[in-house]
Amino acid sequence: MRKKARYVNEDLCTGCGSCAEKCPTPAVDTFNTGIGQRKAIYKYFAQGIPSVFTIDAPSCRQLGQGKKCGVCAKTCQAKAIDFEQKDRMVEIEAGAIVMATGYDVFDPSVIPEYGYGRIKNVVTALEFERLLSASGPTAGHLDRPSELTLEKEIEETGKEVRKLSARIKQLEEKQGKTSDEVISQVKAGASDEPLVEWAKQAESLAEMQAALAAMNRKMAAATTAKKLAFIQCVGSRDFRFNRYCSSYCCMHSVKEAMIANEHDREVHSSIFCMDLRAVGRGFEEYKLRGGQQANIEYIRGRVAEITEDEAKNPVVWFESTTERHVKSEVFDMVVLAAACVPSAGTARLAQLAGVELDTNGFVKTDPLMPLATTRPGIFVCGCAQGPMDIPESVAQASSAAACAAEAVIGAQITLKATA
Amino acid sequence: MNIGESVNLYRAYYCLDCGVCTGSCPVSRVLPTFSPRLVVEKAMLELGDELLGDRDLWSCLTCGRCYQRCPTNINFPEFMRNLREEAAKRGLSPTLTHHGMLQSVMEFQAAGVRQKKTDWAREAGKIADTGEVFYFVGCMPYFSVIFRDIGVDSLSIGRSVIKILNAAGITPVVSDEEACCGHDMLWNGNPETFKKLAAKNIELIRSSGAKKVVFSCPEGYYTFKHHYPLYFGELGFEAVHFYDYIEKMIGEGALKLSDGARAYTYHDPCRLGRMAKIYESPRAILHSLAGDRFREMERNRENSVCCGTTGWANCSSCSKQIQAERLREAKATGAKTLVTACPKCQIHLSCALSSMEDMDLEIKDLTTLISESMR
Repeated sequence: MRKKARYVNEDLCTGCGSCAEKCPTPAVDTFNTGIGQRKAIYKYFAQGIPSVFTIDAPSCRQLGQGKKCGVCAKTCQAKAIDFEQKDRMVEIEAGAIVMATGYDVFDPSVIPEYGYGRIKNVVTALEFERLLSASGPTAGHLDRPSELTLEKEIEETGKEVRKLSARIKQLEEKQGKTSDEVISQVKAGASDEPLVEWAKQAESLAEMQAALAAMNRKMAAATTAKKLAFIQCVGSRDFRFNRYCSSYCCMHSVKEAMIANEHDREVHSSIFCMDLRAVGRGFEEYKLRGGQQANIEYIRGRVAEITEDEAKNPVVWFESTTERHVKSEVFDMVVLAAACVPSAGTARLAQLAGVELDTNGFVKTDPLMPLATTRPGIFVCGCAQGPMDIPESVAQASSAAACAAEAVIGAQITLKATA
Repeated sequence: MNIGESVNLYRAYYCLDCGVCTGSCPVSRVLPTFSPRLVVEKAMLELGDELLGDRDLWSCLTCGRCYQRCPTNINFPEFMRNLREEAAKRGLSPTLTHHGMLQSVMEFQAAGVRQKKTDWAREAGKIADTGEVFYFVGCMPYFSVIFRDIGVDSLSIGRSVIKILNAAGITPVVSDEEACCGHDMLWNGNPETFKKLAAKNIELIRSSGAKKVVFSCPEGYYTFKHHYPLYFGELGFEAVHFYDYIEKMIGEGALKLSDGARAYTYHDPCRLGRMAKIYESPRAILHSLAGDRFREMERNRENSVCCGTTGWANCSSCSKQIQAERLREAKATGAKTLVTACPKCQIHLSCALSSMEDMDLEIKDLTTLISESMR
């Protein structure tokens, strides 16, 4: 096994977080699905175990960019930072293995009609989950991705405007002339190179200021998302991609719609589905409660197409099969219940471990031995075996651990780790 | 093939009743009585008489937008084509446009009437009677006469192809004996006439010695590529679309295009795009021609919409609505020219444009545009 270097000594790190506080380098926050930023030294997510920080080497000034920094090392009271750490190959002799490698979220950008990636306010359920989370990039407010981008643009344009206006102000003070005078001089035919350049810059400043004002007006008029559409079966129950049902998406859409409404009572959600598969104790009741108390509307009809209007609102086209009528409806945001697919490394791992995969690419098991793979001593649990929700994964994890214990109990085994 | 057999052949029983087809259908958006989902449902409920007698059977554009998106891969256009064959056996037919003139021309050709339709080609450049490359012109010589009144000169496409092929050192075979490819007959539920036309063309091309047949018409290309082998097996020659051919020539530097400084947008024909999956070569050509002045409409490639009518049948107010919407979409890109890639798209959209007074837009065929931009 390769144990990747985290550049932090696990035995010393206390997880206090002062390194990340002081780290000067921002990086893309992968846990928040790329929305927002974290530091180059980070903990993947707050509840992660072990509670130890890691340096994202490519983003780090010292490790990735070869610059002098070391701010984290200076800050760390436990002296846990170790820039010299290397990846290690670890050999473990084990009597049983549990494969718990999880799943990947289906990438909906391959579905041309849903416009994911092209239409900003179409997001996956996982992205929406982060937007909705109090510890997420928007502190739980449903700011739309289009406005988050606008915010960034405003910030960048603002910076440019400040820089340029400082430069022009300097010129004005130095030369004792106003920019307007220079512009009219150039218009009148002055061809002196510095003057022409000055006029050009002054004009582009005015343009940028106007653009900035327009962006600010747009931003001031924007509100958080109030009208949501949830689209089920995105990449699953679809012969083009995955034939199977991802099983948990119906419930997470209801849950997300409920939480969105709890956060802001004005939120209305439409859930588009063929059938809402609320299978499990209390699930159907939960679904009904969503309809009765959380402003959720269930629409029978799989969404055909999403387009975008001028205000960056997604427009959903569908046939309400109960009304037998084709409709289009404008939403503030669309949430795609993207399928659960085998994690990218599953095929390679299965090859290494010598276990078979099923036709969908998940680890194969027998219906009567749901945790045993095709190879004795190797067990699987959770979404590595197929789509399932959290309670089921947790139950499987306990069972798989018990199966593994059963396999090794009484046997003489040695657990050796060589560095 | 009766309805039950069609259901089995296209595995229509996989239908999830999800509504993606009807939600995607450009006709259903305008004409609420037409629903691909209900057609499949009725077929499975064995409501055959109701289904085949329904006038909406002929409203389908067979554009394939539904099939592209169907989560269970039901080939609705082909399924529809089979239903139409069944309906035609009962003496039913679509409402033919232009008083059925074009269908009559097709029947004449199937019956073997002598044609004289290569004069324009001799004027345009060098052509031959035998050779490696056959240029299948299609029905443009007829269109050029019929649609003169709306200002569409379909043959400019044909002339351009010959000019460009000649410039690349190719003398194509162009023949008076060429018949209609049979596309429209096939989709109008008349496979017998289709087969007669196809057999004539296959024999003609084989006797010319050509190994490559170049098409500028997407319908001809797709019919040769897909339906001819289905009915006749191995053809013994290769069908190539002109855009794929010239994209290579541009890439190799054999064809140089100059910048016209106009802004363009592009309309994917159903047969070329969703059916033949040729999306990128026309775009590559437009990029080399106009760079970032080439702008996509919102509904492009797989999401493109039909030009409103097909098979010279059932042109209605529904067609006009689809066309007007498409033209407005083209205009919204800021482009001055809507580039089409199928002679029928050009005719249909030009017809709609001629009745939209405030629409400042030009419609131009891509092949014509290329030949005008040659350096």
